[in-house]
This record gives sequence, C-alpha cells and structure tokens, in this order.
Amino acid sequence: MNIANILLVNIDNPDLAAQLASRGYTPVPVQDIPSMLDVKVSFATVLVSQEAIGDARAEDMERLYFASGGAPISVFISDQSSISTGLKRALDEGTLERVYGHEVASGLATSRIDRLYLSAGLDTVVRAYQQQADDKDLLHKEMSLRNRVIEHGREFNSNITGSITSGLVVIDTGGNIFLINEFARRLLRLSQGDMLGEPYRRVFPEKVSRFVENALKRIAGSWRRHDMKKITVDESVLEIATYRMNDNVHNPIGLLMLINDITDQENTTAQLYRSEKLATVGTMLSGIAHELRNPLSIISARSQMALKKTEWDREWALKTFESIDGQVNRCASILNSMLDFTRYKAVQQALHKVDEVLDETLTHVEYQSIFDDIKVEKNYQAGLVVYGDRSRFVQIFLNLILNAADAMSGRGVLRLTSSLEEQSTVLVEIHDTGCGIDAAVKDKIFDPFFTTKEPGKGAGLGLAVSYKIIQDSGGEIWCSSEPGSTSFFVRLPSGKRKVYERKTAAG
Amino acid sequence: MKEKLLLVDDEADFLDVLSEYLVDEGYNVSTALNANEALALLSKETFDLLLSDINMPGMKGFELIKEARRLYPSLKSALITAYDVRDYLYMAKHYNIGNIITKTTPFNFDEVLLLVKNILSEEVFGLDRYVRGPVKRTTVRSTNDIEGVIQSIVAEMPDLKHRRKFRQVLNEIIVNAVYYGAKHERGDSKESWPQEVTLSPEEEILIEWGADGEKAGVAVCDQKGILTKEEVLYWLERNATKGDNGMSVGLLDEHGKGLFISRETIDRFIVNIKRGQKTEIVMLNYKEGLYDGYRPLWIQEL
Repeated sequence: MNIANILLVNIDNPDLAAQLASRGYTPVPVQDIPSMLDVKVSFATVLVSQEAIGDARAEDMERLYFASGGAPISVFISDQSSISTGLKRALDEGTLERVYGHEVASGLATSRIDRLYLSAGLDTVVRAYQQQADDKDLLHKEMSLRNRVIEHGREFNSNITGSITSGLVVIDTGGNIFLINEFARRLLRLSQGDMLGEPYRRVFPEKVSRFVENALKRIAGSWRRHDMKKITVDESVLEIATYRMNDNVHNPIGLLMLINDITDQENTTAQLYRSEKLATVGTMLSGIAHELRNPLSIISARSQMALKKTEWDREWALKTFESIDGQVNRCASILNSMLDFTRYKAVQQALHKVDEVLDETLTHVEYQSIFDDIKVEKNYQAGLVVYGDRSRFVQIFLNLILNAADAMSGRGVLRLTSSLEEQSTVLVEIHDTGCGIDAAVKDKIFDPFFTTKEPGKGAGLGLAVSYKIIQDSGGEIWCSSEPGSTSFFVRLPSGKRKVYERKTAAG
Repeated sequence: MKEKLLLVDDEADFLDVLSEYLVDEGYNVSTALNANEALALLSKETFDLLLSDINMPGMKGFELIKEARRLYPSLKSALITAYDVRDYLYMAKHYNIGNIITKTTPFNFDEVLLLVKNILSEEVFGLDRYVRGPVKRTTVRSTNDIEGVIQSIVAEMPDLKHRRKFRQVLNEIIVNAVYYGAKHERGDSKESWPQEVTLSPEEEILIEWGADGEKAGVAVCDQKGILTKEEVLYWLERNATKGDNGMSVGLLDEHGKGLFISRETIDRFIVNIKRGQKTEIVMLNYKEGLYDGYRPLWIQEL
C-alpha cells in the first residue's frame, strides 16, 4: 500500500469517509493506526484533531513518523484543551512536527488547511464537523479560517507579482498600464513614480513601445495570442513575451507582458558559437597539418634533388619546377580553405544560394584523406536561397559532413540533397552510408558535450551548436538513422520568403 | 644485377621524385599508383622490395603487403606514410609489419636509402651503418659498469639535447639488455631482479656510440637475441592505444613502457634482431629541428 496522503480524522461519519476516499485520501480510524504501521506508506500530511487522537501515546506518534519516512506530522487541535502528555512527549522528541492551537494564525497552518479543504471539499468538511460536533462555535471558527484563506490568497497574489524575477506588466486595450511590478520597472529602466493608468507610450522606451503597439494591434484584430521579441534596452537584452488576456466570452481585455533579462544567456550562446567554431578550427588544423606533410615532403625532395644535380637539362628542370609549383599551390589552397572559414567575423545577414554554401563547405574538407574513399553525390535543386549568416550555415553543414565521414570511417557514399518544400521552406538532407546512430544515444545527440568520439577528437558541441543556430534561424534539424543509412535533415525558411516578409514589413 | 624495387603511392609526384632518387642510387624502380596496379606488376615481374604508401584510395598499404606476402613469400616489404605512425601501430601489430618510414620535411633521402639497403642486404647491425662519423665501443660486463658507461657516452655527446635525452633512455635500455637480454630475467618481476649481476663473456653487452654532422647515435647490443618483433610491436601498440578512459591501455602494465617511452623520446629508435644470436637497439637523435615530426617504425628481424 502506498498512499500519497493519509488523513486521520474521527470518521464516525460514513459520508465524510466516502468523500475523502473518493478524493484519494484513505481515512483511517485512529484506533487503527497501530495496526497499519507495519505497512509501508508515505504520509504527506497527517492532520488529526486531538479529540480524535485522544490520549495518543508518544510511541504511536514515533512509529507513525518512521513509517512515513520522516514526513512531517502535524496535529491540529480544534479546542483549547490541554495537550495530552503523549503528544507533548512526541513534540519534545521531534517525532511530531507541530501542534496547532485553535487560534491558528500562521500562514503555514492556513495553507495546510487550505490544501486540505481544497482536496477534501470545504463544504463537506464543514458539514461533517457540524454533524459531528453540532458545535456552532466550531463552525464559526471554520468560517473565520475560510476568510483567512481568502485573505491569504489575495496577499499571495500580490506577493507573487512582487517576488518573481521577471517583469510583469498588464496593459489594458486602451493602452494604459493596469499593473506593473517592480522588476518590470527595473528592466525597462523606468522611474519610481506611480504609473498605474498611465499610457505605456509615455513611459516605455521607444523600441518597447513600438513592439507593444504592434502586439496590441494584433490582439485586437486577429487570432494572434502570443508574441515574442528580443529587444536591447541600454546594455541588456530583454526577451519580451506578450499574451492576450480575455474575459469570459473571449473578448480581449488586455495585454499581459512578461519581460526577462537574457543578456547572460545571449552572451553564453555567443561564446558557445565561438568556442565551437574554435573547436572546428582545431579539428581542421590537425587535418591541415596532416595534409601539408605530403606536398611539403615532395617539395623538399624535389629541391634536394635539384641542389644535388650538377647539370640541369631543360626537360628535367621543367618537370621539377612544375612539380614544386603544383605542390606549393596545393599547400596554398589547403591553407586558404582554412582561412576562408575563420575569416567571417561579424554576423553578416544576407541571401545565400544553398548549393553554393554546400559546395563551399565541401571545399573545406574534401582534401582530407578521410574523403579519399567517400563518393560525394550532389542532388541539388537549383535556385534555392536561404537568408542569414553564411559562416553559420557553413558551420552547420561542416559539422554534419564531418560526422558523416566519421560514421563511414572514410568509406561510403555521402549524398547532399536540397529541395524546396511547401510552405516555402528549404530542406537539406545529408545522407551517409555509415554505422548509424545507436538508438540508445539518439535522444542525446543534440545535447552539448555529448560525443561518441574518442577523447581529443571532438568536444561534443557540433550538433548542439548546429541545433541552436538552426533554431535561431527559425528552422529545424532532425535525423533518421539505421545502420548503413543515416540522414540529417535541416529545414530552413526560404530566403525568398524572408526577404519578402521584410519588404512588406518595411513597406 | 640491379635490385628491383616497386614503389606504390597515389601521389604521382612523390613516386616520380623518389624513383628518380633511387634510380640515381642504382636501383631498378617501377611505380604503381594504387594497390591493383601494384599487384598487376607483381604478377608480371619479380621484385626484391615493395615499398608502399599506407593511405591510398581503394586497398590500403597494409592489405597490399599482406596480399603480396601471401602471393610472393620471398618479397621484402616496407610501408611509407606522411601521417603519424603511432596511429598505425595497431595495424602494424595486426599485420606484423616492422617497417614504416615517414615522409619528413625536409625529406630524409638518406634514411629511405638506408632502410632500403638494410632490408635488401639483411645487414643491419653496427652503429657505423647509421652514423657516418667515428664510432667508439665498450662492453658492459656487470651492473657496476652501467653508470660509468652512461656517463662517458653522455659526456661525449655533441649538444645538450642529445645528452639529456640519451641519459633518460640509455639507463632503461642498458639495464634491460643486462637483465632481460643477457640474463633472461622476467620483465614482470623486476622487484626480484638481483641487485648486482656479473656477465660472462658470452653475455657481455656491446655499446657503441658516435656522431656525425646531423645526428648522434648509441647502439646497445646483446648476444642472445631473445626479443622478438612481435613482442616489440605488442608493447608499442599497447602503450600507443588509448582505452575508454582516454589513457593508454598499457599504463598499468608491469613492464613494456620502457620501449614505448624510449621510442617517444628518441628521434629514431631502431630494433635489430637476429633470433638466438643478438638484439641491437640503435638510438639516433638528430640536430634540433631536423626531421622533426613523425617517427618511423623501424624493427628488423632477420
């Protein structure tokens, strides 16, 4: 038997017993406590009246305490009669958390009773007490308790708005501030004065006002219930979410704004991008060191041969220098591909052709010997564009392509497919014929620092960062995998649509 | 008659320049761009040595040598690579291949030539094959000689780098030569090795040392030849392979680390074995900065 909550009451009244049972409580007559203590139960709240528990023995309370796994046990005494010696001892020994007198004033007790009333039904309890005790005085006490509960609730509300570390603002449909908490004032850099009833336009920073204005327009005119935007106020990045507030017939009555300071988060994300890029650069660098050895040793061998020779015939010299020239160019192109990748600095939002981005990505890695036995198939739909930062797109595809090559241990087919979907989204599929992703780790592959590569071969950030970049661009990434066939799908909003939206928004 | 070499590499340019060099050195050289071409040539002509690149499209160097050895058991072979030999120690052990030379920058023609000569002639012993300058010799007759021998060798080393590195490694190698090489003490029970050992004339350890313009070298040779190529490959691979925890799997082994660490410390760590007769370990250190980068695997068992 495992009971979430055991309520011990004097349940001579079968009605109340049934009510409580139907709400998941197991009412147990007091005299039965000792017999059930051998059963493993978990007690969340045990609320008894002293009348019910009578002269409970300290030993019983102790056993109850241990049987409950140490959950607090409270005894509620409904009159002022003295505490039984047994309870007193249990209190002293700490097996009993607390005994509440009839003048229960503490918020703790109120909320406990409140909880109890909510689940057991206030009326039922009151009626039960009424029937049991036929005590008008007791009823009166319960009613005043009930008032206290309501009062408590009201204070509680204002306490919530004051305690949360998010800005909370309610603006009515007329554009006046109906509610604003302290934190919102702080985040929006507002002065301390009373702003209730003031038009938001007069007090909010301009960028925020513009966003609120649009949000208000949208809730008035359309089905749109929710908006979200990142706005920089002074040095802080604020994430402002708005929700439509309705009356009971679904008319909009106001706009609820939740404001969070996400500056740190944004900085962390930016750092994550950078560190992942560095990690990628590190991987590429070791690849480059590898790949430079071949041409460099050829150049060295050629020049040593030339230095050793006493006579150069023309044909021989031509062959030697063509070879040196070719190998130097090879070194240069290996280095350039690396530099290209590290060159991008600021985020440059622009339109990019998908096939060009994919081809560029391939040039960064194709020279590596792991690609010697990988057949690359391109299956591009012409004319697709995406909008965003080119280096980030390259970073995404680079990660996926390098993972694919790893999964194939350098032997297999890498197929890159791009296509236009309905809803103007671009779908890129990166398919490999490698070992596949173990079902056990499939859920974890997008987690930061998760990696199946051996130490030193990857920090486990590649997919996590790709995921973040794609999400930020309004896209999606997912994969399907079985041994011998793995596809990563990247869905990005078509650049054409993005540009169109921007134009219409501006015009 | 000229000896016939078959060079295999997917780098046509590299094949061209290396064969030019080896032809100048008096060999008859054929080239192939991949394993299939190589096997086709092998089926038509008899070659003395197959020297193959490891990382080629299609069949890799290791498989090519395995196949060639199966078809032509008397064919000698070695591998060459631009990559880190440590990454290939597992394969070397698996295929029992003792020779992988590296494409260094600057390219070390002398080393390639020496390896080719060694393999073809099966004459590998003696430091004078490896160092051009005068070579000094001494013998270790008891454990009491070891410290003195090391001191006199190190004192004559040309520069600091050589002294420091040789001192670290020499002690390890000479002690092993005395206890394991000459006295057959078990490597896994070093704590029970006797403190002092005296060697009979048939057990003496021969030490040679010398230097030329670009390198210094020491050779330590026993007269028993009990170490095998398999053993050397086993211990090198065990210490180069990383386990699940990222540490080398040989980390907690009772012995075997000395070989690996010596190979890591010294530029060229060469093991020559004539079974039942002698084991020679040749250690070469180049001048600072010369032929830096990857170290070849150089074990020859006759």
